[in-house]
Amino acid sequence: MSTALPATAAPTTGRPPRGPRGLTWTVLRLHRTALIVWCLALAAATAVLIWMYAIGDEARRGMSGCATPATDGLPSCAAVDAITADETYSAFLGLITTSLSYVIFPVAAWAGGALIGRELESGTARLAWTQSVTPARWLAAKLAAPAVVLTAGTGGLLLVNLWARQDDDPNLVGDWYLPDVFLATGPTAVAYPLAGLALGALAGLLWRRALPAAGVGFAVTLALYNVLERYRDRLWPTATRSEQGEFELPRSAWQQDWDITWGRYPGEGTPVSTSATFHPRSHYWPLQYVETGIVLAVAAAATLAAFRLLRRRMP
Amino acid sequence: MTETAIEAAALSMRFGRRRRPALDGCAFRLPAGSVCAVVGPNGAGKSTLLSLAAGLLRPTEGTVTVLGQAPATARERLAYVAQDKPLHPQLTVADTLRLGHELNPRRWDAAVAERIVAEGDLDPAAKVRTLSGGQRTRVALALALGKRPELLLLDEPMADLDPLARHQLMAALMADAAEHGTTVVMSSHVVAELDGACDHLLLLGAGRVRLAGPLDELLAAHTLVTGRADASLAAHTVVESRTTGRQITALVRPEGPLGDDWQTTAPSLEELVLAHLRAPEAPALRLDDAREAAV
Repeated sequence: MSTALPATAAPTTGRPPRGPRGLTWTVLRLHRTALIVWCLALAAATAVLIWMYAIGDEARRGMSGCATPATDGLPSCAAVDAITADETYSAFLGLITTSLSYVIFPVAAWAGGALIGRELESGTARLAWTQSVTPARWLAAKLAAPAVVLTAGTGGLLLVNLWARQDDDPNLVGDWYLPDVFLATGPTAVAYPLAGLALGALAGLLWRRALPAAGVGFAVTLALYNVLERYRDRLWPTATRSEQGEFELPRSAWQQDWDITWGRYPGEGTPVSTSATFHPRSHYWPLQYVETGIVLAVAAAATLAAFRLLRRRMP
Repeated sequence: MTETAIEAAALSMRFGRRRRPALDGCAFRLPAGSVCAVVGPNGAGKSTLLSLAAGLLRPTEGTVTVLGQAPATARERLAYVAQDKPLHPQLTVADTLRLGHELNPRRWDAAVAERIVAEGDLDPAAKVRTLSGGQRTRVALALALGKRPELLLLDEPMADLDPLARHQLMAALMADAAEHGTTVVMSSHVVAELDGACDHLLLLGAGRVRLAGPLDELLAAHTLVTGRADASLAAHTVVESRTTGRQITALVRPEGPLGDDWQTTAPSLEELVLAHLRAPEAPALRLDDAREAAV
């Protein structure tokens, strides 16, 4: 019979045929509503992205050059104007992109409130700790199960998002350095919600009440999000380009600073020299890696602090 | 020598520096297989003591061992029902019992838990949030007994139950405990609900042990005496005395023969407890094999 099975928190080892057992089952069952909401949100987002992929070609035709009347292979402007797919495509991709970059906030509020804070407030955590599981294993399961679900969800949605964006035409999907585009197109999309989970759980353990913990979790992640957005351009050394006269940077460059040296009459004629600091498109991946590293380090530190707090409090 | 279920030595618990300690140097020993009542006024430290024994609190000073282990390592062998009977409101009764199974895979006895739930006419598909206080108590007790604990810690278990359910659950609890030799520690301030069920008593007052030991020995050590108000009880330890007119009624611990001036009767559990509650300064009495507890 199943009574002989070891209580395992890890879903990977010795999984019997009837789905998760032990603490994993407990965590999934207790937070079934959140799991259902998460799956529905992912399904809706995926459906929208598939639709966006389907209208992608039409949207790109709506952005093409035109002539009146149609000449040299260019379509007529009236025909291009009549295409509305490009607006739909931009709006919905923007919506999904922004939502994906904001997943950290509801996750932190949920982790502080429903996942940890409510259990400590209502005493159900003590119920778990007087069964055959230690508080540390309880917390490990409480963090691991949502972490796996979140990683799978955001990772999957990230891939579908990249697929739906196709050639990343900045006119349609926004420039790579826009805050939400940056966060929703790379590994940061996966790292941020994990940090939200860890910070929310830590807030729950600190405040031990659902509502304040949810608020604190939300506030802390809001601060993290804004600090990193504010200092994102400093996470990797910028490139500098100095030339005689004036020049323009390509659209794909994330401009940081312009320094124009004028001759005798500032503002008149051509400048003597121009110097620009910027992040070229090639800095996307270094910036992503550094920011993902920082966010994962925050998540790891919060997780460690949560375990230490629990260990210090419990005998 | 019998085995020890709970042993406390110089056990103190303080919540915050400025507050009075909830427990202050408690020492007692409870043999395995006994049914012990923990009584005392509100704020005496009953709940704190049970939480410490359940491994949910770290004592400020002193030690407590349960079943020969630190409480935190004896988790699997004990069950604890907190005063407010915390349960997950979003789970059904059946899922709550499944939770007990999943979290105690090596010990769970589904038949016991399901029987206790069934005796209360509870629908297994009902959500815990729809249950009354008494029904929740029943589910919480089913969860505790389904674990097949060697030590069962119950904090005010019967407070929410109607008299019939109280009687029936208490009988189920005692039958189960007798059958499996479970040690039961039950706190209450309703002394009547403990009478006839307990064989050990632990009376706490202001965080200290006032009385501890087998119930029959504690009762035998006390006598209820009635006599003329001018008669002397100086040779004996007077727990509490009341004078009405020219007559005095007192609960004493006789140190020798009481003499013919006094009418003596054996006190009931309730009289013993009430006298000690009314007289907080009365000296403590421990008959619980102090040699082992005084570590």
